Amino acid sequence: MDSHLVARGVKRASPGRFVMWIIPWTLILAIGLYATYLCLSRGLNQTNMDNRFAFGLWIFLDLSVIALGAGAFFTGFLVYILKRDELRAVINSAVVLGFICYSGAVLVLMVDVGQPLRAWFTFWHPNVHSMLTEVTFCITCYLTVLAIEYAPVVLKNRKLKEIPGFLVFEFELHKVMPILAGVGTFLSFFHQGSLGGLYGVLQGRPFAFREGIAIWPSTFFLFIISAAAAGPSFILLSTWMVSRLSRKKLVSENVYRLLAKISGALLTVYVFLKSIDTLTWLNRTAPGFGLSGMSFFLWAPFNVWILFVEIIVFGLIPAMLMLVGSGKLRLGWLVLSSSLVCCGILLNRFVMTIQTLALPTLAFDKFMLYTPSWQEVATFLFVVAYGTIIYSLSFRYLRLFPQETDLKQNPRRS
Amino acid sequence: MLPWVYGFTWETGNVLFLTIFYVVSGVILAACGIAARRALRDLKSTRIDEIKWHVDFEDIPSFAKTCRHVFTGELSNRVCHNGFDCRTCKLHADLTEVSRPTAPLDPPHSRSTHKIGTSVFGLRMPADRLYHRGHTWVRRESDGKLTVGLDDFGERMIGRASTPEFPSVGTKLVTNGTGWFFRRGESRIRILSPVEGKVVAVGGRGNGFYLRVDTGNDCDLRHLLKGVEIQPWIMTELERLEIALSTEEAGVSLADGGELVEDMPANYPGADWDSLLGEVFLEP
Repeated sequence: MDSHLVARGVKRASPGRFVMWIIPWTLILAIGLYATYLCLSRGLNQTNMDNRFAFGLWIFLDLSVIALGAGAFFTGFLVYILKRDELRAVINSAVVLGFICYSGAVLVLMVDVGQPLRAWFTFWHPNVHSMLTEVTFCITCYLTVLAIEYAPVVLKNRKLKEIPGFLVFEFELHKVMPILAGVGTFLSFFHQGSLGGLYGVLQGRPFAFREGIAIWPSTFFLFIISAAAAGPSFILLSTWMVSRLSRKKLVSENVYRLLAKISGALLTVYVFLKSIDTLTWLNRTAPGFGLSGMSFFLWAPFNVWILFVEIIVFGLIPAMLMLVGSGKLRLGWLVLSSSLVCCGILLNRFVMTIQTLALPTLAFDKFMLYTPSWQEVATFLFVVAYGTIIYSLSFRYLRLFPQETDLKQNPRRS
Repeated sequence: MLPWVYGFTWETGNVLFLTIFYVVSGVILAACGIAARRALRDLKSTRIDEIKWHVDFEDIPSFAKTCRHVFTGELSNRVCHNGFDCRTCKLHADLTEVSRPTAPLDPPHSRSTHKIGTSVFGLRMPADRLYHRGHTWVRRESDGKLTVGLDDFGERMIGRASTPEFPSVGTKLVTNGTGWFFRRGESRIRILSPVEGKVVAVGGRGNGFYLRVDTGNDCDLRHLLKGVEIQPWIMTELERLEIALSTEEAGVSLADGGELVEDMPANYPGADWDSLLGEVFLEP
């Protein structure tokens, strides 16, 4: 039925099976759309956020997907700037994932801000002293870059490239891709950092506050490195999952191993710096406020285990597995390690957002737990469903993994 | 945002931040503008066929892009990155130590010296012609014009049910651009032109050729396969075909010999012929 739209040389699920896969996600999308409508039409009283918990599930989602979407900029940087041609096998998929992550984050921010019609205010009257202004500008520019990077992948669709205008535009866009990759790297570097910096400058929240270099707190640099480490892991994990779900060999094993090696190396640096940062905060920053650092870990359920899990289980262990074992271990171990890294980035963003706000900062403050409303959860799932649908359509109709036909025709390569 | 907008101040931070933002936005816009301008220029030019080949070549599996010097045993493993255009390939020039065009093929009257009708794995691949990787052949005639046809592998793959759609006489062809089409049901298979030149006549299956091309005086055919390269190339093509036809459930299986039947689509109606023909005729 739609075989004329599917790339030649690859096999995809029958239209019936594909529709069956899409239907549940469409239902979630519809519920999420209704929740979004409620939030936009009736206001943020539809959420469980308040003055204390001004950052909730949505900001956690924003930080997480932007960190996971870092695979797009980092892979682009490796392919187009450092000329690591092996990663061309995943660059299209990385761009689609990046586009989904960033557009999903912008969608949720639109609901979170609650006044989408006034979104242009942040550009027209920017407060250049705010980290969020830098984040807004960088994310907007980078989403534009990602949309431009996504365009050639779409225009290479079998039917679209039959139109000469699309064919030549795709060809010429491809030539300027190194420039866009460079711009994307620059933008990502700053907005990933500014998202971390946003927490590090919170003087009123000693749990998040960090010292640093000049105007940049240490969290600025930690967010950049952690995102750069998690990006390749997320690409590894997503490629493996798509490969399992579609029952196709999409990339050769050395691509998985290279991604694991890059992720492992960066994660090792991150774990080292994070450990130094934590020790500095425990022994210098927190006492500087007249507080004991460990006192922040007395509030269940966010006890000291969370620190152990974040640094050791989701940090050091996968870092060592991937760094040392990227060439020797079985693929399953690398997939497990990349899952741990992705969990680690989610936990880190959760700690920075939710734990920071849950902890009391004044003598009369109470420890508070936050439970999102169904509207918040539905909006969260809306983004997940939106991403799944966009990726599924892209996988079906676009050539996301150029090695796929190669591996089918020449299995010896794998 | 701008000096006359409320909230703007001439502070260093403000000016620096906005300058960086404008530079970044400018670079993004300029990159897109350059791409759009070049695309418009390409559309007005005659480069579309060349661009299409460039785009398609990237998507051809590396197994199908094996360098001709691997076929001759000069290299053990190499993938072509030059769009099968050996005329501009430095390695080819180095290996053949020939920087001048190939000597013109012998005209028909001297063909008796060649082994006409040479069989390669049961396929008729006469040695008096040159072969293009898209399964076309080229033969120089006594009047200096080139005759272009589909090789036996291509004929058997395309089947009898396909009808050719030719370009009109006078059409200019470019190497690796569109030669002609075959229509097979809903799909339209593009056959790549092995040479550049002007179409002076069109034929058909009954005529023994498909196109007659006038290349003028400038006729460089070094990019086409010949002689000892044919057999290993056809072997690779047969291997690709076996893998493409093998069911995924069965995996790659060892073929037990045999020859390609005369009309593959008629004998194997269940296969995904649109995909298969795209792979064979280098239109991924």
